[in-house]
Amino acid sequence: MFDAVLLFKDALYGALVIAVACSVLGVYVVLRRIVFVGAALAELSSAGIALALWLGGRHLLPEAASHPIAFALLLTLAGAMFFGIGAGRGRIPPDATIGVTYAVAAAAGILLISKAAVGEAHDIFLQGNILGITNVDTLVLLGVAIPVLLLHVIFYKEFLFVSFDRETARTLGYNVRFWNLLLYFTLGLVIAFAMQFAGVMLVFNFLVLPAVTGLLLARSMAGTFVWAVIAGIIAAVVGFTVSVPFDLPSGPAIIAVSGVLALLAFGVRVLQRR
Amino acid sequence: MAPFITPLVTFDHATLAYGHRVILSDLSFSIPEGDFLGIVGPNGAGKTTILRAILRTLRPTVGTVNHAQNIRFGYVPQRDQVDYNFPLKVRDVVMMGRYDHVGLGRRPSMRDREMADAALEHVGIVHLADQLLTSLSGGQRQRALIARALVGEPTLLILDEPTNGMDLVSTTQILGLVRELHERDGITVLMVSHALNEVANYVERIALVVNGGFRIGTVDEIMTPPVLSEMYGIPVDVDEINGHRIVVARRNGALFPQESALHV
Repeated sequence: MFDAVLLFKDALYGALVIAVACSVLGVYVVLRRIVFVGAALAELSSAGIALALWLGGRHLLPEAASHPIAFALLLTLAGAMFFGIGAGRGRIPPDATIGVTYAVAAAAGILLISKAAVGEAHDIFLQGNILGITNVDTLVLLGVAIPVLLLHVIFYKEFLFVSFDRETARTLGYNVRFWNLLLYFTLGLVIAFAMQFAGVMLVFNFLVLPAVTGLLLARSMAGTFVWAVIAGIIAAVVGFTVSVPFDLPSGPAIIAVSGVLALLAFGVRVLQRR
Repeated sequence: MAPFITPLVTFDHATLAYGHRVILSDLSFSIPEGDFLGIVGPNGAGKTTILRAILRTLRPTVGTVNHAQNIRFGYVPQRDQVDYNFPLKVRDVVMMGRYDHVGLGRRPSMRDREMADAALEHVGIVHLADQLLTSLSGGQRQRALIARALVGEPTLLILDEPTNGMDLVSTTQILGLVRELHERDGITVLMVSHALNEVANYVERIALVVNGGFRIGTVDEIMTPPVLSEMYGIPVDVDEINGHRIVVARRNGALFPQESALHV
């Protein structure tokens, strides 16, 4: 069983990088009640990949197909900035704006890929292809995740303050818009790269479920981050280890483990309250 | 009343607007050091607009709003502006009031921690320092937020609707605490509230904001039937029970067109 897993060890390392980065950012995503921003950004990223493949496949921009990450980044970061500046403050409620973005980006991605001459099956956007992660891909993921996580460690109190109580932060001279944009920017960056391999469903899972598990188990912010990362790592390792020898799709297997962990955490919480 | 020395904030013929929508115009008043001012009026009258100008998040379209160079705000937001889902201990929340002292990218020191505990001691809940903020009662949460505002050593303590949604006991305790901070420590206080009857018995001056109108003065100057009747647009009486002033709208007194404005 473990021999089969070792064959895909690079893919496992890549999945772990995605799990850790998304689990950390996911704590803010869940606490700020922006889980569907995560989903909408993931869809924008997949639409970017589809756009690149469509442009390349139709020979409108032949180089595009070999650099889909550039298009994914462009759309995801544009979306992150859009949500970060407070989209939907006018007559349209913010959650409706997120819903519109999610629906349109998802549909655009599927439409574009269906007409791309060199397109892959559009399932890849939903499920990803985590087994296809190579050693080089893992290094690229690390190149994105390490600076993002360092930024979040260094400026932890700034991100925390503007997330917890933006009005008071503003009165103490914090540039709330800047810190919000930076938070969304890092979120967009991680999602755009993670989406290449993990797909919408798995990225969304890593942004939400480990953080929920962390919040159920911890009694402090530091504890929440630690438990979220542990839950993300366990889900990635166990889900991956089970999926390879049993020929199960890795993404859904990891999500299933995440779900079990969240349920166990809920059980622990209930027992603690008694 | 404490002797007023330096104005911390001065409105000079200031007009406050959101885009083309003017909320209040030609405001001229100041908040001197040592003041205990209540900004009172019904919801939507423009209290928050004035507050935003004081906090420098809204610039006047006409006139000026000047701040003293040494001004430091200690802000206590409305309780629903704070997200209680965050698993934060009371001490950690209070230390946020020192974050701008701590500096960008740095961690709070032991001294910041000690100051947070001292601020909690000051508001009487140091024994709750290690509790989660979310586990506290409404009154205790408000005390924690006041401690956070105090720990930054403010020159102006601002409380936005501090007793909103509180029961009689918590309301009395919180207003008593704020009054004590003003009298004992000489802290300049600005309190924003829609509840005239609550605020009038604690503050020293009142700024009344009703239907685009603005009037400021001592409690004795504002809490009179002619002034209040004119501002609210219906005839009102001001009664006194055990030294507490109570504003009461007269029965069948809807003689003025703006009676809906009265929220005392």
